[in-house]
Amino acid sequence: MRPLFYIHQSSCISPQSSFEPVDIDQLFEPADNKLMAREPSYDGIPPGILRRMGKAVRIGVGAALPIIKGPAEINGIIIGTANGGMEDCIKFLNQIIQYEEGQLTPGNFVQSTPNGIAAQLGLISKNRSYNITHVHRGLSFENAAIDAAMQLADHQDNSYLLGAVDEISAYNYNIDWLGDWFKDENTGSGTLYNSGTKGSIAGEGAAMFLVNRQKENAAASIIAIKTLHTPDLNLVQQSLVNFLEQNLAEGERIDLLLSGENGDARIDPYYHACETLMGEGTTIARFKHLCGEFTTASAISCWLSCHILQQQRIPEHMLKRKGNPNALNRILVYNNYRGEQHGFMLLGRA
Amino acid sequence: MSRIFVTGMGIVSAIGRSLVQNHLSLREGKCGIRNELDLFPSKYAGVLPFGTVPVSNNELRQTLHAQEPGVTRTSLLALHAFNEAIADSGLSPEQLANTDTALVGASTVSGMCLTDELYHDANKKEAGSPYLSSYDNAAVTLYLQNRFGMKGVINTINTACSSSANSIVYGANLIRHGLAKRAIVGGADSLAKFTINGFNSLHILSPDKCQPFDEQRKGLNLGEGAAFLVLEREEDTTGKKVYAEFTGHGNSNDAYHPSSLSDEGEGPYLSMKEALDRARLDPAQIGFINAHGTGTENNDLVESVAMIRLFKNPPAFASTKSNTGHTLGASGAIEAVYSILNLAEQEIYPGLRFEHPIAATGLIPVQSYQKTALQHVMSNSFGFGGNCSSLIFSTI
Repeated sequence: MRPLFYIHQSSCISPQSSFEPVDIDQLFEPADNKLMAREPSYDGIPPGILRRMGKAVRIGVGAALPIIKGPAEINGIIIGTANGGMEDCIKFLNQIIQYEEGQLTPGNFVQSTPNGIAAQLGLISKNRSYNITHVHRGLSFENAAIDAAMQLADHQDNSYLLGAVDEISAYNYNIDWLGDWFKDENTGSGTLYNSGTKGSIAGEGAAMFLVNRQKENAAASIIAIKTLHTPDLNLVQQSLVNFLEQNLAEGERIDLLLSGENGDARIDPYYHACETLMGEGTTIARFKHLCGEFTTASAISCWLSCHILQQQRIPEHMLKRKGNPNALNRILVYNNYRGEQHGFMLLGRA
Repeated sequence: MSRIFVTGMGIVSAIGRSLVQNHLSLREGKCGIRNELDLFPSKYAGVLPFGTVPVSNNELRQTLHAQEPGVTRTSLLALHAFNEAIADSGLSPEQLANTDTALVGASTVSGMCLTDELYHDANKKEAGSPYLSSYDNAAVTLYLQNRFGMKGVINTINTACSSSANSIVYGANLIRHGLAKRAIVGGADSLAKFTINGFNSLHILSPDKCQPFDEQRKGLNLGEGAAFLVLEREEDTTGKKVYAEFTGHGNSNDAYHPSSLSDEGEGPYLSMKEALDRARLDPAQIGFINAHGTGTENNDLVESVAMIRLFKNPPAFASTKSNTGHTLGASGAIEAVYSILNLAEQEIYPGLRFEHPIAATGLIPVQSYQKTALQHVMSNSFGFGGNCSSLIFSTI
């Protein structure tokens, strides 16, 4: 299979040590059921601009900086984010209520638009090319990646910045907590997956990638992506069967299933159904104890996949079932958002 | 690669609840902007003019049989336009639920039209409202996906005020690359205390009805509405009504300022130019431009400068925001529908309330209804964050 595109550079700010220096063997635990991003010092962003940035913009721009400041010419910026600057959005809303629609300052309003991250990246790199933001809840990153694949099919020599970001704000945590999406009991990485209770832990992060169609010196490739909207478990299973049939060549197999399992007992059956489709040799690993559950967590799994494909090693704490791979050549990511939005991504070793 | 044809359109705005009503209003130069706002209590109700859709939420719920809990006005407006578009194109429920039918939506306000509910749900640790999953941008698209059991590629885009122009492009790209056979594309936004106060804090809301491209313009009027288009491959349209071909698009970031455009209009210039290049057209072949034309000091000057840079003598142009107000995330799709009406009916609709040309550019928008031969029409949408998009539709 000719990949959709190759990943040449990747960068991630997450609740773990994913930004330089990278060390994902060491595990940082959630506090109050939240895994907050470990933010770097952002030396590349002028302090005056940094101060005005909300967290989503800050970690998004921070993660993208090593790529946009790099030597590669970037022909477009393609970002996935379900909410963008949620904190600023509700801060502005609270001002409206508290000051009864009085004279308000526009700062939070301007920062609140979800396209703010892609816009800020265009602004600071003076990049006037293609610029877009996909906001399709739990499939924002997958749609951004499909967009990148289509752009690259049309413009074979181009390179794009592809990435995703979402933040925990006190406000969206509250909304999702009221919606029963987070656990009530205090949960750590050791107890997340076997709780048998509803809900997960909250997370946040940003992952950014330089993508193009050049095979030479690539870190990894994205071979195929498929998305599906349904609560029907059988449809999900059938869709995965078709996806593998279409995209695995003769004799190829999935060496690693990177599962988006998040400890929510209501969602577990989907992940188990997909696990049963894997051969015994396939290793199964999980990542939500690293980054928590959030709308663009699959972008973090994509960054982890690149890291694992390059290192040819999976951190012990991620393993659910050890297979018998000779090498890690094919990784399947299956991520499920709230039992309704499903994404399959097939990644390959470059 | 297949040519992409438009085979269905649905629209609701301040000037009409159907395609036919919108068409008549445009011909008659009707304005839907009024100094009335009864959708929610606001200190700006009765003070500032708005392009309100004159239909209550209750009436929308009843006529659309949309009694699901958690449905917002934005979703109701979207459903109204979506229903008309799929009926217009003659799509069956089976076609809608097929894996090769894509849906690409856009909304910048979505469930944030429910300011008080959102305030409560975001701040209070007590019983949530029925709208907990209705606030994000994707909620409108997911409501339609769920209601019609859609199984193809589904996406939502936000590039601020150019959002639904990019939904149209993404849908067309899905078809061109074989990821869908047909795509239903568009957007919806409703009036909200959030956006009223947001734009007011930037001092760009006009106290009077807006005057796009006028020297004395005082800002924009917020509006609301929704529009969806059905895009299909040429080979699948045999025997079907076809309105126009989608021939070109451009997307450029102005990379200048979060909420205003650069003096030289680099982003608008590049997006218009890219659309022309992609459609393989010379500037002189564009017969009409549905301008972004918000009526703000900044936009109308910069858009004029960019049009002069690219076209030297710009073609006939006008802004339908003088009829509808600025419908934000819906405006790209609404104005695409209007541009396609220009082509399908071979007529140009007047911009309203223009009196004096901007001194620096001297451009004069169309001020009267005209019957004219048109082959290619351009529609511009520029958003916060510098997100500029241009679309070109052509007769087939």
